[in-house]
Amino acid sequence: MGIVFTRLFSSLFGNREARILVLGLDNAGKTTILYRLQMGEVVSTIPTIGFNVETVQYNNIKFQVWDLGGQTSIRPYWRCYFPNTQAIIYVVDSSDTDRLVTAKEEFHAILEEDELKGAVVLVYANKQDLPGALDDAAITESLELHKIKSRQWAIFKTSAIKGEGLFEGLDWLSNTLKLLLQAQ
Amino acid sequence: MFSLFYGLWKYVFTKDEFRVLILGVDKAGKTTLLEKLKSIYLKGEGLPPDRVVPTVGLNIGRIEDVNAKLVFWDLGGQVGLRTIWEKYYEEAHAIMFVIDAATASSFEDAKSALEKVIRHEHLRGAPLLIVANKQDLPGVINDEELTKFLNFKELDDRPYMFQAVSAYDGRGIKSGIEWLVEQMEKSKRTETLRARAGVAGSI
Repeated sequence: MGIVFTRLFSSLFGNREARILVLGLDNAGKTTILYRLQMGEVVSTIPTIGFNVETVQYNNIKFQVWDLGGQTSIRPYWRCYFPNTQAIIYVVDSSDTDRLVTAKEEFHAILEEDELKGAVVLVYANKQDLPGALDDAAITESLELHKIKSRQWAIFKTSAIKGEGLFEGLDWLSNTLKLLLQAQ
Repeated sequence: MFSLFYGLWKYVFTKDEFRVLILGVDKAGKTTLLEKLKSIYLKGEGLPPDRVVPTVGLNIGRIEDVNAKLVFWDLGGQVGLRTIWEKYYEEAHAIMFVIDAATASSFEDAKSALEKVIRHEHLRGAPLLIVANKQDLPGVINDEELTKFLNFKELDDRPYMFQAVSAYDGRGIKSGIEWLVEQMEKSKRTETLRARAGVAGSI
């Protein structure tokens, strides 16, 4: 019953909360993106062991953004954060072409997870400022995004350092999530 | 035994699920059309036209008609993104190809994109609804004029229809969908897809 009232309340006052996981290999730029979104600044980061979590308010949605460390040894712990997630932001270093295959495999392993079945997927083709960075079409191809057929997805070219593309992606995410939260 | 009855029950009462691909060049109005579709069939849900942003990926819409469940796949139309269209062909029952009928400068691009779609072997026999969109705008041409302009000769091996539509105010959408459902129900392609799913299911 309480849940019903909470839903009613939040639908009346328009402030919804969504839980978003930011995932990707190490050094993809996840933490830089998180703080760029939250504070609008570039902060210098060190490799994340564990997680960072921040709340970002955008378009009437409160995004609870979890940035999980990306190193091989800690990727198995991502799973602990999967329940109740509405969206995944998958960050790829578009200039790290050697590891795109690994990025693809990790990505599709995540999508297989039962607890993430309903989550929508936003891909940031990050580090567009670096020479040799692949564009959105090429990243789409290498990540084999076309294999996703039962959930919505979108890809955006981003540069976390320059602040480009991040909010365009968040626009898409907030539009998509609003409709999903409405439908629930 | 239970599963036998369950199977029978499912066979009798489950509606067919049809997958429809929404294709077209960028700015044709595919996503606006999808959102309008949702708001017509789902009563109220659906993004208003001014909130629609260019699609770089996949939007999905699920609606239910009296006879069928429909899943729409709306793919981005920018040149670089069109390469992924064909990855969705094999599983699609039908195509909606959306053309901005108010912008003559987009016709050539639309025509060549559509020709490629039609020629693709994975889409053989798929019913095709060509949507002359943006009928709400001044200077728009209607479905007949668009038919003449596109002047296709190789559409004959599949059911196809031109439909004047406004994704903005919704006109033409329902009759287009009704035609598509009718075509998909009797199309050979639907049988083929169903058989393939059946085989895959039993393995």
